[in-house]
Amino acid sequence: MFDRKGQTRIIEAFFSIAVVFSVLLISATLPSQPDLTGQRELANLGTQALMKLDANGTLGNLIVQENWTVIKTSLDVLLPLGVSFNLTVYDVNMLPINSQAIQNSNLQGHEAVSVEYVCATQTTNTEFFVLRLQLAWTK
Amino acid sequence: MKGEKEDMKRSKQNSGQILLIAAFIMASLLLSARLYILEVGKITAETASHSVSDLILAANVGSRHVVTGSLANISNGGSSSTLASNLARWSSLIDRQYRFGKNVLNYTLRESSPYSYGVWINWDINGTGISSAYVDFTYKLSDQEVDVDYSYFINVTTIVLIECSYRIVSGDTKQVNATIKVLNEQDSALAKQIAVHYKFSDSWLIPNDYQITDYGNGTYVTSFTVDIPSETVQVSAHVVDQRGVFVQANATAMQV
Repeated sequence: MFDRKGQTRIIEAFFSIAVVFSVLLISATLPSQPDLTGQRELANLGTQALMKLDANGTLGNLIVQENWTVIKTSLDVLLPLGVSFNLTVYDVNMLPINSQAIQNSNLQGHEAVSVEYVCATQTTNTEFFVLRLQLAWTK
Repeated sequence: MKGEKEDMKRSKQNSGQILLIAAFIMASLLLSARLYILEVGKITAETASHSVSDLILAANVGSRHVVTGSLANISNGGSSSTLASNLARWSSLIDRQYRFGKNVLNYTLRESSPYSYGVWINWDINGTGISSAYVDFTYKLSDQEVDVDYSYFINVTTIVLIECSYRIVSGDTKQVNATIKVLNEQDSALAKQIAVHYKFSDSWLIPNDYQITDYGNGTYVTSFTVDIPSETVQVSAHVVDQRGVFVQANATAMQV
């Protein structure tokens, strides 16, 4: 009877030690530095796309013309396949001004990166906008 | 007395289970602490990675747009203070954008001759018209991890060159030929709009039959007929480039 009790204790202790060690083992396999390569790459892609669109003032002109469809199409072309985006255009008071969604698919459920970009128009009546581009890998 | 003994016995019997539960709690604590550290590291690294470079690049591109748009405004008859007021608004917007530290965009309008308040407009030189803006910028950004001090300048210049001559068709009727060249920052550029005028009795008139040939490389050739008794013909080209900057260039056509 006492022997059985002893064996049970040993098994329980063994399980306890196993649990703690397995957790230590799992945590050791986790990276000490977060792997942000994918996120950085995504953020750079987003910034580069906006920069290209803004290089000759096209982005500002499209915003002034409220041509959201062309902005969406341009981002579709500039961003690689497998990247989902959602762009929100704000005025200087941070009020959203795009009347329709500028996105190619829903970002819900994906780990998204947010890029903020300030844009000035190249028109005689200079206007300023703040753009927030959310991006996620979907494939 | 008997009850206390039974309690002690039961607690001894359960001590193994308590050990297991304690081990599970410890394990979950260790794991959650590790995951929390990883998540916090991710947020910090993300903030540092792309916010700074994005702001610097955007500030540079945006500054160029502001200077170009302001020059377009001024050259089309706007107030000379437009450049300063637009830059003040731009600088204020940039300053507000970075929430993790200090972010300052300073600008200095070029004041050395021939610029005044950052703008140089000269349409009186024979054969050349210039509309130009020049601004020096200093961008300072500092937070816990980065300390950036970045200086750059924006020079937006549109030059129009005009060369013209005429030949007598009959009597006072002259056929004027003019070659117009458009330059943006010394490079050939396309015009959005060109209008040609000639001077007759102190009035600038638009020729009736003039046509412009676009060579597609910033060079435009025009030809028109005028009835002027004088030995010279004053020709003026009014050009708006693709950026909306207006330039006027005048030249005197001589007989060939």
